[in-house]
Amino acid sequence: MKLVHLALAVLSTVAVSGCKPSASGSGKKKIVFVTNAVDPFWNNAAAGVRDAGPKFGVDSETIMPTEGVADQKRIIEDLLTKGVDGISVSPIDPANQNDILNAAAGRTKLITNDSDAPTSNRLLYIGMDNYKAGRMTGELVREALPQGGSVMIFIGRMEQDNSKDRRQGTIDGILGRSEDSTRFDPPEIVIEEAGFRIVGTLTDNFDRGKAKYNVEDTLSKYPDIAGMVGLFGYNPPMILEVLAQANKLGQVKVIGFDENEATLAGIQEGTVHGTVVQNPYMYGYKSVEVLSELIKGNNSVIPANKMIDIPARQIRKENVDTFWAELKKTLGTDK
Amino acid sequence: MDMSAPLLEAGNLVKTFPGVRALKGVSLMLRRGEVLAVIGENGGGKSTLMKILAGVQPADSGEIFLDGQPAEVASVPDALARGIALIHQELNLADNLDIAANLFLGREKHRFGVIDKPAQYRAARQLLEAVGLEADPSALVSALSIGQQQQVEIAKALSLNARILIMDEPTSSLTTRESEQLFEVIRDLRAKGVGIVYISHRLAEVMDLADRVTVLRDGANAGNLEKSEISHEAMVRLMVGRDVSRFYPHKSGEPSQPVLEAEDLRTPAYPQHGLNFTIRAGEIVGLSGLVGAGRTEMMQTLFGITPATGGRLKIAGNILVPQTPLEAINAGMALVPEDRKKQGVVLEMTVSENVSLASLRRDQKAGLINRRAESDLCREMIGKLHIKTPDGKQLAQFLSGGNQQKVVLGKWLAMRPRVLLLDEPTRGIDVGAKQEIYQLMEQLAADGVAILFVSSEMEELLGMADRVLVMHEGRMAGELTGSGLNEESVMHLATGGRYSTSKSTCN
Amino acid sequence: MQLKKTLGITLLLLAVCLLTASLSENFLSSYNLENLLRRTALFGIISIGVAFVIVTGGIDLSVGSVICLAGCGLPWLLTTQGWSLPSALMAVALVSAGIGLLHGLLITKLGIQPFVVTLCGLMMYRGIARGFTGDQTVGFGDGFKGLRSLATGRIELPFIDGFALPAPCVFLLVIALLAAFFLNRTIYGRYLLALGRSEEAARYSGINTGRMTVLAYVLCSCLAGFGGVLFVLDVNIAQPSDCGNFYELYAISAAVLGGCSLRGGVGTIYGVLIGAALMQTLRNMIVLTTRHQHMEFAIIGAVLLAGVVADELIKRRHLRRKAVRSLREESTPA
Repeated sequence: MKLVHLALAVLSTVAVSGCKPSASGSGKKKIVFVTNAVDPFWNNAAAGVRDAGPKFGVDSETIMPTEGVADQKRIIEDLLTKGVDGISVSPIDPANQNDILNAAAGRTKLITNDSDAPTSNRLLYIGMDNYKAGRMTGELVREALPQGGSVMIFIGRMEQDNSKDRRQGTIDGILGRSEDSTRFDPPEIVIEEAGFRIVGTLTDNFDRGKAKYNVEDTLSKYPDIAGMVGLFGYNPPMILEVLAQANKLGQVKVIGFDENEATLAGIQEGTVHGTVVQNPYMYGYKSVEVLSELIKGNNSVIPANKMIDIPARQIRKENVDTFWAELKKTLGTDK
Repeated sequence: MDMSAPLLEAGNLVKTFPGVRALKGVSLMLRRGEVLAVIGENGGGKSTLMKILAGVQPADSGEIFLDGQPAEVASVPDALARGIALIHQELNLADNLDIAANLFLGREKHRFGVIDKPAQYRAARQLLEAVGLEADPSALVSALSIGQQQQVEIAKALSLNARILIMDEPTSSLTTRESEQLFEVIRDLRAKGVGIVYISHRLAEVMDLADRVTVLRDGANAGNLEKSEISHEAMVRLMVGRDVSRFYPHKSGEPSQPVLEAEDLRTPAYPQHGLNFTIRAGEIVGLSGLVGAGRTEMMQTLFGITPATGGRLKIAGNILVPQTPLEAINAGMALVPEDRKKQGVVLEMTVSENVSLASLRRDQKAGLINRRAESDLCREMIGKLHIKTPDGKQLAQFLSGGNQQKVVLGKWLAMRPRVLLLDEPTRGIDVGAKQEIYQLMEQLAADGVAILFVSSEMEELLGMADRVLVMHEGRMAGELTGSGLNEESVMHLATGGRYSTSKSTCN
Repeated sequence: MQLKKTLGITLLLLAVCLLTASLSENFLSSYNLENLLRRTALFGIISIGVAFVIVTGGIDLSVGSVICLAGCGLPWLLTTQGWSLPSALMAVALVSAGIGLLHGLLITKLGIQPFVVTLCGLMMYRGIARGFTGDQTVGFGDGFKGLRSLATGRIELPFIDGFALPAPCVFLLVIALLAAFFLNRTIYGRYLLALGRSEEAARYSGINTGRMTVLAYVLCSCLAGFGGVLFVLDVNIAQPSDCGNFYELYAISAAVLGGCSLRGGVGTIYGVLIGAALMQTLRNMIVLTTRHQHMEFAIIGAVLLAGVVADELIKRRHLRRKAVRSLREESTPA
């Protein structure tokens, strides 16, 4: 077994270093979309990847790393060994992943999605401006709490640029500050401005149990908390879970991010004020589209600022039904 | 250097541990080219004295003279530098390394940091020759027998130019043959002027080897014996502080019912040899043989630890080849194993928990521990066996070897066995406890228990056994009884009939 | 002796509680205490299981993955596969017990080291959960409220207003009492302790050490499975790739803090409970009283180390005193 693997690895490395990577079997070009974790959010993106494949005549596939940066690196390395024609990746820790990203950029067409790595040799970035999306979230908080009050932010982790920007945008949005995506408020400092008191940012490293405990502990520590913002897809449902158990649904305003079913249901029921949704489907779809053009040698798809913006949207009670129906259609879960 | 002065002289050594005065002013003198035996019951202070002389721990007060000069032995390296080496009861070799590497551990012969193996092997070969060990210096220590490992230890001490060699029970795990070899080495060293302090429980050895004897009792000098005064009785008298009328109490009883009958029994260790023997109620049967003859293996097969691969076993009339210890126990057998600390007692459990371990199952009430039965049993056994312990809650690890062995015996007495298997029951145990165990064996035999005991101590074997079975390389070489039972005949059978000697090591 | 061993850790827990209470007035609010008790119960249950294995001198690294398998398996069977509740619960129980049996047999019959066996388990069971769920989040949505109340429910106590006992505490209490009774009062508990200290001496005393070892692994996996069910009932969703991740380390830490020696043979259920409570209280304290959540593991690690060091020092002093007492006893002629 081992020997066979080794032989395959050697052969494919030779093939890659030879000239052009040849796609296996079908003769179609092979494009792989690498996410930063396993999450329903990425299922939407995977749907876009899947739909775009036949449309642009390529083999398209989505791979989700489960164990963080190291796992993502391993996946990319394996892909390079196997030989692929294009990779779209959502780097987990862009500042420290330049080595692997540049290695990939050297051997295949590499673009980033969802979270950018501007210092690497990636050809372009598809995604939204997380800082702007954060500001949109902040606006929802201001709507929900016109009188101001204490607000806690929950997030999976803070290493990624997209989550850093998203969080900073949210804070700046809540406080109505000027736009400056380079600003950084350390999580351990309480910010009191413009009638709001942002009491902190709690991370859970994707452990749902921990995410729940963070909300519970916040209720303990700040019985008078007015608002809770859940910036990763699974955070808002955990907030709702805890508030329901503590009988505080509706008392504490909840603002979400992404389109978890429980979040959307909460908006319908009025327990969530609103959420900001990205368009992961389009990340996937657009990634395949752009990569297939780049593989053909058509570099005109690269914009001057190297960014293809897929703007975020605010979902409130009035547009949640339409949005959800649309979403179900793209995911194929509407039947 | 004053050559007429004693090699080593220690005067009035005092050592106190929290709550205990281990040494209450002990003196000792060692001349060049002399073997000084230091004997005494466990707790008598022998080990403490040796540790002080070898620099392992300092004395509270007292003085040490080397070659007539006052000296301070502050640490082990210090002692080694002065030519004093201690060979521990437990050997300190790295058994994953070869002999040469062990000999020069920490002071390897090297060139620019690269070990010079040829030079090291050459030097090692010379050292091994000096101690009479015929082994390749590149052999792994793990491949050597315990006796050979001990020779390596001695060679190591010699390579450090030791002038004073302290040996702590060096023969406790050696076969008779290996012991003989060791004695040769010791005599050889003595002839070369090395002074040897020899600690042992085996009085026969001491009589054979020692030029003088120093006896310790309760942390003080109980007396010294010059060569001409050394006798078994004199040593025992000084050790226990009273006359021991009969050291080996056993007298043969009337022959009675067979309780343990082996017919063509095959052990996994030597499946090619079938073993046949019978042991009757009230009999004490010794089992002799060299290390590796298959004695322990046979005991383990009888007890169901390594189940027999063939043959028949009749226990108290029932045909049963035990597949597990539990089956053996239920059939009325008990085994006091060779390795007391690993197989006998659970060191980190209390005396009470150890004593009840085998009988818990019998005394249970619907799976629950019968606490009353447990504490009654513990009290009974502490009283009956004179186990020296503050109470039943003491951890077994804090008892002396003899008392630990009594705990193991207590565990089995609780089961009222019909067959008692004892594997080296008195190894490393002081004279007092030894005698108590002999008396217990005698009493059990009188009560009709059949006893089979393995022993490497000829004296004990001849003193205690009605009959002796001798094994050689996995087969039953023979059975000796009555007037045919003597040291020569045992050795003859144990060595496969090839042994012939006129010298006697035991009296 | 039993009390002495756990005295240090109990005092440590009290100290952490007092410190937290003095720094945060909300620590002692009934809401926070209820949360803390519920988490302690959930982690306590899996820690007791691990303690059984540690007592035998073994280790079970697969606990987190068994939690994942059970935690993902139950909602998957109920919602995606449409199984009935009794059959789904039965399946989870059987699989958990089966895993323990497999571990125990591999360890006792083939003699593979527990570390290796359960390390492989750690990888396999999570992998299996990710396989059958298609790596998707599974959960109960709005359903199974009654079932979920096993983990989220509160039992109003008479005479105490505003405070209710979280339902998992009842499970923990029952399991802990049974476990303590088993370990201290039954002959099988004694056998476990004996074989943990010296497998050979136990075997030479007629104890079927293999069967007892298997039993310990079965208990451990069953409690992990039960814990997994309670975890998913509490959180409502489970993501196979991270559900129960590292929970084996929390469980082992709690057991070690509670005085279990990885060398085997030593451990009290009470100590394990206090250990589990201490772990959860520390996490709670860090959120309540500081804003340095990222220091969480550093603080927990330091406390764990301090606890173990203190325990070792106390034990040494105790042993020395005992040894001296015994020496004195021996030096007086009987």
